[in-house]
Amino acid sequence: MPGIEYLFAALTPVNILLALFGVVSGTVIGSLPGLTATMAVAVLVPITFSMEPSSALILMGAIYTGAIYGGAYSAILLNTPGTPSAIATTFDGFPMAKQGKGDLAISLACIASVTGGLVGATFLLLLAPPLAEVALAFGPVEYFWLAIFGLTLISALSEGNLLKGLIGAGFGLLLACVGVAEISADIRFTFGNQVLIGGIETVSALIGLYCVPVLIDLVATPDKHLMVNYEPRGFRFLEALVIAWKAKLSLLRSSVIGTLVGILPGAGGSIAGLVAYSEARRSSSRSKNFGHGEPEGVMATESANNATVGGGFIPTLVLGIPGTPPDAVILGALLIQGIRTGPSLFTGGGSIVYTFIYGLFLATFLMLPVGLVIGRYAYKAIITVPKAMLVPTVAFMTMIGTYAIRNSISDIVIMILLGVVGWILNRYGFSPSPIVLGLILGSIAEQGFVQAWTIGAATGQLAKMFFGRPISLVIIAFILLSLFYPVIRKRLFSSAWRVSGGE
Amino acid sequence: MVNNQSVSQGRDTGGMVMACLFIMMAVIALWDTTNMMDSDSFVFPRAIAIAIILFSLALIVWNLIKPVTEKKETVADASTLRRTALVAVMLASCALMPWLGFLLSGFATFVLLMLVAMYDKWTSKKVIIYPLIAAAVVAGFYTLFSKLLLVPLPVGLLFE
Repeated sequence: MPGIEYLFAALTPVNILLALFGVVSGTVIGSLPGLTATMAVAVLVPITFSMEPSSALILMGAIYTGAIYGGAYSAILLNTPGTPSAIATTFDGFPMAKQGKGDLAISLACIASVTGGLVGATFLLLLAPPLAEVALAFGPVEYFWLAIFGLTLISALSEGNLLKGLIGAGFGLLLACVGVAEISADIRFTFGNQVLIGGIETVSALIGLYCVPVLIDLVATPDKHLMVNYEPRGFRFLEALVIAWKAKLSLLRSSVIGTLVGILPGAGGSIAGLVAYSEARRSSSRSKNFGHGEPEGVMATESANNATVGGGFIPTLVLGIPGTPPDAVILGALLIQGIRTGPSLFTGGGSIVYTFIYGLFLATFLMLPVGLVIGRYAYKAIITVPKAMLVPTVAFMTMIGTYAIRNSISDIVIMILLGVVGWILNRYGFSPSPIVLGLILGSIAEQGFVQAWTIGAATGQLAKMFFGRPISLVIIAFILLSLFYPVIRKRLFSSAWRVSGGE
Repeated sequence: MVNNQSVSQGRDTGGMVMACLFIMMAVIALWDTTNMMDSDSFVFPRAIAIAIILFSLALIVWNLIKPVTEKKETVADASTLRRTALVAVMLASCALMPWLGFLLSGFATFVLLMLVAMYDKWTSKKVIIYPLIAAAVVAGFYTLFSKLLLVPLPVGLLFE
């Protein structure tokens, strides 16, 4: 293991305070719909210029870690993922909160996030250079299939009809095409409207599709937002710890999945939680409970999405390819500090990078007390605030958060309208998750598809381009498995039943 | 206004209507791609639009051929007026924002939404405290975004 001296360098009082400040501010910012980890890191970058490079990196890493975890609060308590990587947290987190177990869900999310963060940081510490090669093995076609895999996964996971999920995913992909085209720069689907030229902003759409329907339903009845249990139950930490211990294998598997998927630039964060959730549901003995408030579902997603922090840093630090938008901001800050990324960073510039990695461990450990305390207050606030205060506060937060992304009032209008569309679609069984993921993965899918199409058409090997590469074939196999798994499972169960003499 | 909502029984008629709307949307998208000259621009949206049409048709056919299942009718009291008012207030706030500025329109939106979401009786204490809390929340968020995060929130044409 790389030098213990770097661990001591990370544990200076200044670094501990910076990590604590970073985790607290990141968690608070991440929990507010509309405020992203990217924005939090970007705003604080100028402050870091006067700091030691390793301290600056620790602060930015801590904010990033806290923000990814903070996204779970709104996912669990408001059914609105604070960050795209927390989409799958809503599947079981919100049902748990509805059943009066929101405090337990938050403690579980905290434990899972810490576990995932530690696993991701361990991979970053020990295996960064060889794992970075994975990112290079993925070409445009693989990214296209990966995006399709994410969409088929979420369609299959959406409650109800697979076809409705696929239609929703297609709708999201079409929404992603609105505005200036990724490759040719043509203006598409604006129908003469200047406002749409900039396209539909992903986080605004996410807020609209998830949060506005919750608000619409919240004002419609006098019922409480969440079931309230007035008995004092503390953090429910030990209870959560026991549940996490029982699901330790699932937790570790989800963390490893999160790290490995997180290595893939761009797509990682959004897909990691879904893949981990899907795998946890497949392998769980309580798979039928998933989607109805299963604690393992919350843990799978939260461990995976926090593992993407460490995973995302692998291509950022080794190859100079940012894994996620916050990584891109951190990469920019690194360059300003005069640090050149690359494999040599782990040998030549070891002191900075290893101090940073140990700082990431520190921030992840700090997330446990910070996350539990903030989570408890967030939960208490949501269940005790009267509806007449909760609705306008959340609505105001969605509006100001959406405006802040591109300083655009039009984005707020689009957010509200998409929310109404999402509410209507939801009533007829079309879940918002595939639509949002389609919108998020649209640009990756299109770039991969168009590049592969162009190369394939030029070489006269279109089919080979899409279906002839080994990694593509593996992903296609996963796509087919995710689509037809219920049928395969049903067949397997019925044949096993016949063999055991049930016929 | 309180009305009764009910989930339709038997066939998923609503789902089929939505599928028809998705087909219409995809056809419009396909028509719009005919104006694009560069194949890089239209190849992906066309593929997606065709996929939407196929999935929507499959959903309609599946709904028509599958056996009709008896669904439990759920009846819930829900106010359509309040739902509509929520959306209308938020949209009106956007319309007024360039003139009134974010602070004033935000406060007005907050107070109006408070009225929309209020089911309890207004007491004299609430009449005094709630608007004060509203002012504090709006001012707090305004300060956070405009001063700390340096987001240029609209000041309002009336105050420039």
